[in-house]
Amino acid sequence: MASALGFSTARRAPEVTVLNAPLFRGLMEQMQDDARRVVLDLGPARPETVAILGRFRCRLEIVALAEGLDALNASPEPGEVREIVSELLPPRRAEAIDVVLCWDLLNYLERPTLAILMAEILERLRPGSLVHALIAYSTPRMSALPERIVPGDDYRLLHSAVTADERTAPRYSPDDLARSMPGYAVERAMLLRNGMQEFLFRH
Amino acid sequence: MFEFGKKDSPDHAADPSTPEAARRDIAPAETASRTRAATGGGGRRDAAIIGPSIQLDGDLRGQEDLLIEGEVNGTVQLRDNSLTVGSQGKIKADVYAKEIHVDGLVEGDLFGSERVVIRKSAQVRGNITSPRVSLEEGARFKGSIEMDSAAVDAVVGKKRGPSVAEAPTKPATPAASVAARSGVAG
Repeated sequence: MASALGFSTARRAPEVTVLNAPLFRGLMEQMQDDARRVVLDLGPARPETVAILGRFRCRLEIVALAEGLDALNASPEPGEVREIVSELLPPRRAEAIDVVLCWDLLNYLERPTLAILMAEILERLRPGSLVHALIAYSTPRMSALPERIVPGDDYRLLHSAVTADERTAPRYSPDDLARSMPGYAVERAMLLRNGMQEFLFRH
Repeated sequence: MFEFGKKDSPDHAADPSTPEAARRDIAPAETASRTRAATGGGGRRDAAIIGPSIQLDGDLRGQEDLLIEGEVNGTVQLRDNSLTVGSQGKIKADVYAKEIHVDGLVEGDLFGSERVVIRKSAQVRGNITSPRVSLEEGARFKGSIEMDSAAVDAVVGKKRGPSVAEAPTKPATPAASVAARSGVAG
């Protein structure tokens, strides 16, 4: 796998890996059409993401979902999860969301939590909107924490682990996701070189 | 030119002409000492300062640059000047200024007619509307960033020329700079 920083070491400074993600690239290319869009970024505020999306006519809504992951996964009651999700997501506005960037965050949600999150997001989406996600499907292990994933200038993804610790990947299959995400249809899916499955869903 | 704080300004804009018991119009020089606060473009110039021990509730307006190291709750309007929220500063206010630099804590919407800079030590919860937004790695931000030049123009009411990307504030620190496509380099 191509590496921006050269040789790999599991326990040293985070290695940044460049990942060709055709569906993400296609999504960014679609955004060059000069139409205004609202983009929901479930990740934290990243300078690179802000810079790339700044090329387009859009409003970027930053959720920083990772800050609420522990609370979400620790809450057994759906009502409680729904409440936390509601607080994490931006309020429903007159202008609906057109694009959702999930990065690898869905892997860190229990299945019921994932379903609640995506249902809440669905209520904020414009019909025809697109959702991009990276799912650890063919790889049994993944980083214990969401990776730092940012777009590069050429719309390839630069990702690096924020911890050397690993955990078992949930390996959500397309069928799992279809059951957990009613209202979304898989537009396209591609297996990436790092074992992640890249998904583009359409509402 | 733009007028901030008018009724037709976005969501939380205060009407400067409306008497409010809790509102005070304060000339920064009367409340604070002066300092050489950081301003846009790496330059430094004299700015009034609200020190760490000062808490201010209400509508703060002025005609000079201001550094807040204290606590401000309400609205801040420095339409032709820069506001810096220092590392000790905590503001719970909507801010209207030419340039806004944040090192500290902000809860509120930021309207920068020229630029908003969120530095790595900053924690911001709110919405940003400005033709140029810089966000440094490490900054904690939750909210929205308006990047559509037409929408930014509608809010801050300025016409700008062609876009030029802004250089990062510190080459060693990853930072994003967004210039709305009708923006000009600062």
